[in-house]
Amino acid sequence: MRETNVLEVRGLRVGLKAGEPAELLQSVGLSLGRGRVLGIVGESGSGKSLTCSAILGLLDTRSMTVEGSIRLNGRELTDLPGRALRRIRGKEIGCIMQNPMNAFTPVYTVGSQFVETLRTHSRLSKAQAREQAVRSLESVNLPEPDKIMKRYPHQLSGGMLQRVMIAICLCLRPDLVIADEPTTALDAVNQLQVLRELERLKTECGTSVLLVSHDLGVIAQMADEVAVMRKGEIVEYAGVHELFDDPKHEYTRMLLQARPRIGKEA
Amino acid sequence: MLQVQEVGYGYGHRSWWRSRSESDFVLKRVSFELESACCLGLLGTSGAGKSTLGRVVLGLQKPHQGQVLFEGRDLYAAGGRLRKTLRREVQVVFQDCHSSVNPLMTADQIIGEPLRNYERLSARELKRRTGELLEQVGLSIDDGSKRPDQFSGGQLQRINIARAIALRPKLIVLDEPVSSLDRMHQSLILDLLAELKASLGVSYLFITHDIQAAMTLCDRVAVMDRGEIVHLTDSPDSLRDSGQTAVRDLIEAVLPEHPADRLTLF
Repeated sequence: MRETNVLEVRGLRVGLKAGEPAELLQSVGLSLGRGRVLGIVGESGSGKSLTCSAILGLLDTRSMTVEGSIRLNGRELTDLPGRALRRIRGKEIGCIMQNPMNAFTPVYTVGSQFVETLRTHSRLSKAQAREQAVRSLESVNLPEPDKIMKRYPHQLSGGMLQRVMIAICLCLRPDLVIADEPTTALDAVNQLQVLRELERLKTECGTSVLLVSHDLGVIAQMADEVAVMRKGEIVEYAGVHELFDDPKHEYTRMLLQARPRIGKEA
Repeated sequence: MLQVQEVGYGYGHRSWWRSRSESDFVLKRVSFELESACCLGLLGTSGAGKSTLGRVVLGLQKPHQGQVLFEGRDLYAAGGRLRKTLRREVQVVFQDCHSSVNPLMTADQIIGEPLRNYERLSARELKRRTGELLEQVGLSIDDGSKRPDQFSGGQLQRINIARAIALRPKLIVLDEPVSSLDRMHQSLILDLLAELKASLGVSYLFITHDIQAAMTLCDRVAVMDRGEIVHLTDSPDSLRDSGQTAVRDLIEAVLPEHPADRLTLF
């Protein structure tokens, strides 16, 4: 039973070491099956992104305490040494960040960063990696992929960079993709394109997606299950239809009512 | 009140062998008028030229063609004293609330800066005015001694709004004021803006890519696409019936409110 889930988080606690002991995450539990999308919603500061960083093993253990169990395909991640974790990040857990501008190094071309990522995780020659990258960029509907490979990050728009990131994920075919507010920085038209590519990643590669967003529209469109977070705790955890039809928690109801609607009555 | 006449603006170099051609322009002969106590929405995808137009109206970028008249006076021909008074009448709120405030200043200092620049006030009077402004935007007087890192994004945007209204301007350019906030704070800020417009009689140039926000706040909406205003309407609700592709794309990209109404992505 347990092994069927791609991601299984149990009793995840994160606290600050310095100063007064502060609990940032209180016993967070999540489970995510193959090819499913789990949405995490909540206002800023509720611990959504912190949960993602914890799963990726990116928290600084010198200043923070991390307890609990994080299992990827049944394998415990919390005891793994840094070297093994590095092999997992990118290969088995893909990551799409909120700010695509910060996710790329400004001093190298998009192509060289793409090729570097591919070659770290698989035995490919430069030419092979290059070819694969171009094909992948083509598949996320980016125009003229050859030219994009030679561009620097600042020469591409936010939506394009976000699609390049998804293209990298498509190549490495991770079991799990953590998408932390993937469309927040984008306008509505670009947002739809990025969501389209995520949907494709899910159906074509069977990837599971952990989708963090504060936009309930994105959640309604993409998620199968939803976890509502507030102040470092999961206050409601339900199927997406159940959550929208019959929100149990006071806070969820508030979130659902806060959406602006088309027309003046809102 | 504000007349924008045939304004053209292009980025990039112009040199002796190559004059700026029509295709270099990101704004192509844009004209519109804005009356007092009216909210004009500028709607469009990224790269449509909305923000450039906003900066031209603010007096930050001199247009290469056409002119901007504020109450009949040319914004860019004005010099010295007249320029300073015109500057006072047009204020701005930007999208990125963090980078539009000095992190070392307290909220009182931030809001008081325009008052210090334009009015001779005693320290006590200044304190009273900033207190009033803080309350006007829904913060408390005690927040005045805090610094930007102690505020959330929504609160900081309120401070930016307080600074913008401090001198009672006639026009405020709102450049995506709510795009970086979560849905709940978005609707709260939009409510605040609508309230201020009613109580102060100020005009807004509301730049956004969010068609829902535009429909909630605006009296008139201009849709921009690739440097041109392609659609101008007095009733935002009629946007839905517009045949323009730019408008249709934006409407089709609105995400569903309920998982049952999911869009088919591919």
